[in-house]
Amino acid sequence: MHSIAQAVAGLGFRRELIPALQQGVPDAVQFFEVAPENWAGMGGRAGRDFRAFTERFPFVCHGLSLSLGGPGPLDEILLRRTKGFMREHGMTLFTEHLSWCADDRHLYELLPIPLTEEAVRYTAERIARAQDILGMRIGVENASTYIAPPGAEMTEPEFVRAVVEQADCLLHLDVNNIYVNSQNFGFDPHAYLAQLPLERTCYVHVAGHYVEEDGLLIDTHGSEVIDPVWQLLQAAYQRIGHPVPTCLERDFNIPDLPTLTQEVAHIARLQQAAWSRVSEPPLSPAAHPVLPHVAFPRQVA
Amino acid sequence: MLAFQQFQHALAQHLRDPHHTRRPPGVPQRRMAVYNELVFTNLCGFVDICFPVSRQLLGEARWRRLCRTFVRDWPLHTPWFREIPREFVRYLSEHTIAQALPRWLAELAHYEWAELAVDVIDVTPPAHDCQGDMMQARVLLNPARVDVASLWPVHRIGPTWQPRKTEPTFLVVFRDAQQEVQFTEINAVTAHVLALLDSGLTGQQVFAQLAQEMAHPDPEALQGFGQQLLNSLREQGVLLGTLT
Repeated sequence: MHSIAQAVAGLGFRRELIPALQQGVPDAVQFFEVAPENWAGMGGRAGRDFRAFTERFPFVCHGLSLSLGGPGPLDEILLRRTKGFMREHGMTLFTEHLSWCADDRHLYELLPIPLTEEAVRYTAERIARAQDILGMRIGVENASTYIAPPGAEMTEPEFVRAVVEQADCLLHLDVNNIYVNSQNFGFDPHAYLAQLPLERTCYVHVAGHYVEEDGLLIDTHGSEVIDPVWQLLQAAYQRIGHPVPTCLERDFNIPDLPTLTQEVAHIARLQQAAWSRVSEPPLSPAAHPVLPHVAFPRQVA
Repeated sequence: MLAFQQFQHALAQHLRDPHHTRRPPGVPQRRMAVYNELVFTNLCGFVDICFPVSRQLLGEARWRRLCRTFVRDWPLHTPWFREIPREFVRYLSEHTIAQALPRWLAELAHYEWAELAVDVIDVTPPAHDCQGDMMQARVLLNPARVDVASLWPVHRIGPTWQPRKTEPTFLVVFRDAQQEVQFTEINAVTAHVLALLDSGLTGQQVFAQLAQEMAHPDPEALQGFGQQLLNSLREQGVLLGTLT
């Protein structure tokens, strides 16, 4: 395994993109992201194609079904299979949503956790258990929400900070989710950003969203990234102060690879502008006590 | 139950059955509608893609009603998205569904699921000799395979034809050497042969047993027929050869 600088831009790996990627992976795309729930145990042609990419490129594992804040038992079978999947494909970073998606049954949707002290303790314990099983620190992602569960005892950034500090885990920052929530709940996204535990950021998401007729924003990952979200990403890079890998998420209305690549290249430009002064030499684990050094299976820079 | 989990249970219950339950207190209708739509649309997406024929034949309104009761009534425990269609097949075949449905629907859905499942089954065939003598040695069946035994001729069901009478049907859905999904219709005897081969008998043993079961007047001739049958199944890709 080789390690590379953390200031890299990547793309969500999707089956629809495989034919285009087989013709050549654009230089701007330095890593891919996959959901274990989609790709673990995949055989046949898709499984073979997937392996051909994991052998050549770094992949980040981004979970969807773990239900970190959910009332159902923590799915340790899912965690162990995810661990095996990551080992099989040389992945060293796992992130999940700070949300829930199941009680005793799955709903396959990311739902908001009530912002209470009790929920902080409960969720942090489950994250700590997940980290024990995976044998690594994980990143938890600030989620997009459409409702504010009643009975909140703190603000959302306070909740995020309390959870990651109690669990001693990392932050997976999603700037589009901040923007979507800021519009739907009427707050300043930059002020919100400033309150997050950004010193623990290990990974960043950027994506587009959909605007409904009445102005409500829906986090669809189905359109291009808008300027206010790019500006939020730029602000986040300045505040984070250390280089982090950043992934463009696109799950619907997927355009052709050159169009997607333009957005990935834009991430890379923002990274370079933010960190060209601080990123030499590449961040080493010793230089930063909190962050893991994301090891990638092969030097691709 | 922890205090904050009461809200979660109320929300989950409403998401599964928005038409018959109240939304949790403090949740605005407009925002609840977003989640109701997201949850249902997402689940329909997983199901729709696997069952295009079933969906078309049922028609959109009846299909959506069926999806609705699936979300409401079936315990979806799997975290793996690929397993949601399999759960839908189980719902159709195991659950008592109030909605009036064609009698062949559960079997048709199983057949549609088999095509998708075979495409992505994660199996590596064990060591084998693809030229081996299948009459003398243990035979390797293609492990990327689902056997479909149904009362209805599910592979012929489509917009222009639906069966009115049962017609026992045996299909083998499998992935060929080019990783393409194929299916072949077999008869009851061949299905029995495959089951016996799968249990570890050699071709010769299988057809000797068959001769006995059928009280066949010419067991030797049956062996000759058997050899041809196995070769043909190997050419198609249902059998891969002999285990080494």
